[in-house]
Amino acid sequence: MNAMTNFTIKSLRANRVRTFVTIIGVALAAALLMAVMTTYTSLTDFLYRTEAATSGTWMAKVASEGSDTLAADLATAQGDPTITDTSVLHDVGFAELTPQQQDRLGRYQTILSGEGNMETVLGVHASEGRLPENDHEILLFEGWKTTEGLAVGDELTFNVGRRVAVPVEGEESSVMTHGEVRLGVESVGDNEIDIVAGTPLNSSIGYLDAEVDGSTFNEELVDLHEQTYTVVGFYDHVGYALYAGTGIVALTYGAPADTSYADVFLVMDDVQDSKDVKEKAQALFPDDHIELHSALLRFMGISSDTSLWTTFYGLIIVLSTVIILACVSLIFNAFAISVAERTSQFGLLSSVGATRKQLRRAVILEALCVAIIGIPLGVIIGIGGCAATFAILGPAISQIAGNGVVPFELAVNPAVVLIAVVLTLMTVFLSVWIPARRASSTTIIDSLKSAHGSRVSKRGAKLAAKATNGRRLWRSGGIVGRAFGVGGKLAKMNRKRGAVKGRTAAVSLALAIVLLMTAGSLNTFLGSLVNTVTGGYVTAGDVSVSAQFMSTQAATYKEPFDGPITAEELLQVRNEQFASEAQAFKGVYDHLSETPEAEPKGWTLSSSLPVVLPREMAGSAFSASKNGLGGPMQDGDCAAIARVRYVDDAAFDAYVRELGGDPSIYHDVAHPRAVGVSRAYGNDGSTYQLLTTLQDTGTVEAIGGAVYEGRYPAVLGISEGGVMIGGSMSGATSTDGEPWDFVPSFPRANDDVYEQQPTMEDIEYVSIDLEISALADEPPAVVGSAGESLMLVMPMSLAATQGFGMEAPYFEGQFDAAGGDHEQLAEDLYTRGTAYFHDEVPYDLAFCSYNDRIAEMDTTQMLATIVNVFCLLFTVILALIAMANVFNTVTNSLILRRREFAVMRSIGLSNRQFRRMITDECMSFGIAGLIPGLVISAGISYLLYAVIGQSMEGLMFNLPWGYVGLAVAMTVLAMGVSVAYGMHRCKADNVVEALRSDSI
Amino acid sequence: MEILSVSHLTKIYGEGETATRALDDVSFSIEEGEFVAIIGSSGSGKSTLLHLIGGVDRPTSGNVLLNGVDVYSRSDEELAVFRRREVGLVYQFYNLVPVLNVVENMTLPVALDGRTINTDRLDALLDRLALRGREGHLPRQLSGGQQQRVAIGRALMNAPAVVLADEPTGNLDTHNSCQIMQLLRDSNKELGQTMIVITHDEEIALAADRIIAIEDGRAVRDERIRR
Repeated sequence: MNAMTNFTIKSLRANRVRTFVTIIGVALAAALLMAVMTTYTSLTDFLYRTEAATSGTWMAKVASEGSDTLAADLATAQGDPTITDTSVLHDVGFAELTPQQQDRLGRYQTILSGEGNMETVLGVHASEGRLPENDHEILLFEGWKTTEGLAVGDELTFNVGRRVAVPVEGEESSVMTHGEVRLGVESVGDNEIDIVAGTPLNSSIGYLDAEVDGSTFNEELVDLHEQTYTVVGFYDHVGYALYAGTGIVALTYGAPADTSYADVFLVMDDVQDSKDVKEKAQALFPDDHIELHSALLRFMGISSDTSLWTTFYGLIIVLSTVIILACVSLIFNAFAISVAERTSQFGLLSSVGATRKQLRRAVILEALCVAIIGIPLGVIIGIGGCAATFAILGPAISQIAGNGVVPFELAVNPAVVLIAVVLTLMTVFLSVWIPARRASSTTIIDSLKSAHGSRVSKRGAKLAAKATNGRRLWRSGGIVGRAFGVGGKLAKMNRKRGAVKGRTAAVSLALAIVLLMTAGSLNTFLGSLVNTVTGGYVTAGDVSVSAQFMSTQAATYKEPFDGPITAEELLQVRNEQFASEAQAFKGVYDHLSETPEAEPKGWTLSSSLPVVLPREMAGSAFSASKNGLGGPMQDGDCAAIARVRYVDDAAFDAYVRELGGDPSIYHDVAHPRAVGVSRAYGNDGSTYQLLTTLQDTGTVEAIGGAVYEGRYPAVLGISEGGVMIGGSMSGATSTDGEPWDFVPSFPRANDDVYEQQPTMEDIEYVSIDLEISALADEPPAVVGSAGESLMLVMPMSLAATQGFGMEAPYFEGQFDAAGGDHEQLAEDLYTRGTAYFHDEVPYDLAFCSYNDRIAEMDTTQMLATIVNVFCLLFTVILALIAMANVFNTVTNSLILRRREFAVMRSIGLSNRQFRRMITDECMSFGIAGLIPGLVISAGISYLLYAVIGQSMEGLMFNLPWGYVGLAVAMTVLAMGVSVAYGMHRCKADNVVEALRSDSI
Repeated sequence: MEILSVSHLTKIYGEGETATRALDDVSFSIEEGEFVAIIGSSGSGKSTLLHLIGGVDRPTSGNVLLNGVDVYSRSDEELAVFRRREVGLVYQFYNLVPVLNVVENMTLPVALDGRTINTDRLDALLDRLALRGREGHLPRQLSGGQQQRVAIGRALMNAPAVVLADEPTGNLDTHNSCQIMQLLRDSNKELGQTMIVITHDEEIALAADRIIAIEDGRAVRDERIRR
């Protein structure tokens, strides 16, 4: 061991506390980086496994439609060494099911035959039994077991045929284009086919019904023949391969291909990106349509498409950057102080002949020593922390992100470990480089004299030169001058004339603010995102019971009324029916409330109501037409379908009081009023949206009792440019910018007018004024989430008189389990409820169900828990770093000046004056740190907002003021503690000793 | 008039076997206007004695009376006030505050005491210390001799009961040493300033009225010099 190494190790040992803090800093940096990256790799790995388990490991699918070269191409592909696995699926045929079976299993039983490794390549798994191994064996959907009573080993005979297109009469020469791309798959080129009379229909084409589709084709089965299979297993999960346009699929193995339609699935090796996959597949199968398994490729890191993942990557980048900056600062400060404190040691060393290179090497060696202990420690802590967190949250994440198909597990990628190690090492070396340079470039004399004049800046000297007028010396004006006296004046001089040290403390303070605010912004924005993804608040009640009655003829007039009816009359009949159903549900709720252990939390009725929303009330949700909530009509007012929620009076009154309103006005039957929920949550497939539905109170026009030709009750939908939203009309084209309107349609039962497409002008209806007297961000707890449309909340008392002509309200009752046994309660409520409906209620039940929220572990709560735990861990670690940094710099800057303080105290600076001086200094560099800190954190906050905003429309940018306050308070606290500790150390110093400390 | 009385002053550093008796039962008294040199070899306890007189350290036993007041009966806060009013300290390494210029360093004790600055005295001292024209200079812009003159100015600015100088020439060349000693001597004569100078240099000590020699923590000699 040479002298410098010896010296370095000795000095590390001598400064145990600082060495320890530095090692902890390095370890924290490595741990945080490791944790962020491991979370990323684990999630990617989990998503990959989920995708592989549900859809298979295939990367490219070749859809061959009548290609003669398929067999030859396949043989070539199987011989290619870079194609590691293949599987083929082709149609065997279709069997028409019985009407009873059709209700549960769909029109056809589609029979496919596979070849190759179906389990891994196609992600087909038997939930019971096994996969078929020959063309007499068959794997069926679980529905066959539960509804038809089939078991493994049973034999089953199908009348199998081919589907062909049949044009409707008079349309024999028509052509229809069919094309479809499924989610998670990227289609290469054009996969549309033209359907003409007699075109064989493969399993990717849905059932053709001219009447339903409004098209010109029906279909029929031809070449029927009986085929008998032995059931060898059942599957319960419909993955990619087992999904067909024609419904439920049964799978056999190795059946001869009697149609030319086949899908070839390829697994490749040695591909870098999705372009490679595409090109390789195209090269092997030049004549066929190719689809890429983009969902899988994305999780393998092969895909170049990152649209949905931008937020995720963005978050990782922003967080990693913040972590690296924080750690650079922490480690940099630790080393800078270490070097500054030992400047005179370096002077001594160079005076006895140490070269600059040797000195620099000493500092770098010091860094290495710290890194060798700190980095492995950090990697272990990071991975261990992730493992522990995943052990707790894994089942929930697995449930939310992948339906629990595969467990969420820790996935450590050696390359990622290496990246974290290298990044931390770079951090350490970056932190060491500047102090090391400083150390090696200090002249001997300067370093030996360092205790004397080196702290003064050039500007300080100029200022000092001016302050020589004896009469004006030490005069400090203003409040600060009076409050802090000479101490304050000294602090000011120090600040104005001193170099660097105060700045380091200010930087560390700024950083602390930035770190805490980053955590705060993350909490806030992620919180909003989670809220939006899950649709808002959690509903009150452990168990809910919901029910709806069959529409009775009297209520709905689905059949034409025998005799003319006016809109007024229809409205009245419907309102009476509504009131009567509401009364029946009240009886149900009261009866259910008497269930032992049930704690009633309230009940609601809901239904849909077409309303005209004056333009000045409509929120921004109605200007963005793509969310389908409705939009401006020709005259500028908005057409919308509102979701009306009647809430039991007690819960409603409490809700209005909470909003600061007077509940009594809402019970006025002559003047119906409602609370409007101004917010809604949407999801257009790629982004989540936080929508504003209402921006002002006012009166909306509710439309009730719509009647066509004085005889046919109509259902009102809304449409943009004549295209129904959420209706059954097809042929949607882009209609952006066209005015919205209400569109009447008829229940199928009104066969004689069913095909008619009247406009509102042909319809007679009643306008009812409904006043929105107050706006609320969220609906009452008994309703739960705000949902995806305009919601109006009214008291139950109105239901008795004003049903606005709505039909078949949906009942929901909320109950808590008093004794905590929610499973028992759910069953009891259900039994009691169905018995009561059967015995006491004069209407037929459409359905009655219960929802045991606790047992199902609400995904809302799980997601919220995951996000909260993640944010909490992140906040705690960042706060630790920030506080350690502040402590380090503030304490050290005081300790470094102990000699100066000793001088002042020896000539009579009292403790009080000392305290004032330090307090004043801290306050000033506190302010110097706070302001840039706040500015930078606002920037980072905005960045996080932008990143999260990519997945969420309508996310509001606001600074999380609560966290600003918290950050400032924590920083001030940390500073207070550091100053107290630093001053304690300075005071504990014997003045005599401190004065002598200039000798090395 | 007796201005300083030291009686049975003992200072022990450390405990048990490692205990060092830095001062061992030292007693003497000093009249107002006297110029006393305390001499002794390195480690003899002379600096400890000076710090005890100056109120920057506390004795193990014994007491110090300055202007009739028992120094160590005071609290830390009172000691600080005592130091800035009654004691002027001059160190071997000057110990100026690096961010303060010459006049600021000199007037710091007055400012700490919250009093207004006697500009006449400041001007007189600047002339006496030959610091005219350097009022705005920072310590690092001055030579060692100049820095020590500033330190002396700081000690004299308050007209304290006693000026204590610890090896004031220890860091200076012969020329500057003579200058500094002359300054101290003159201040003693012309301002009637009581002065205690610690040195290990017998020749410098000869400038004083009286020499007290310390060896192994004990006062071994106390003699007046007749001129």
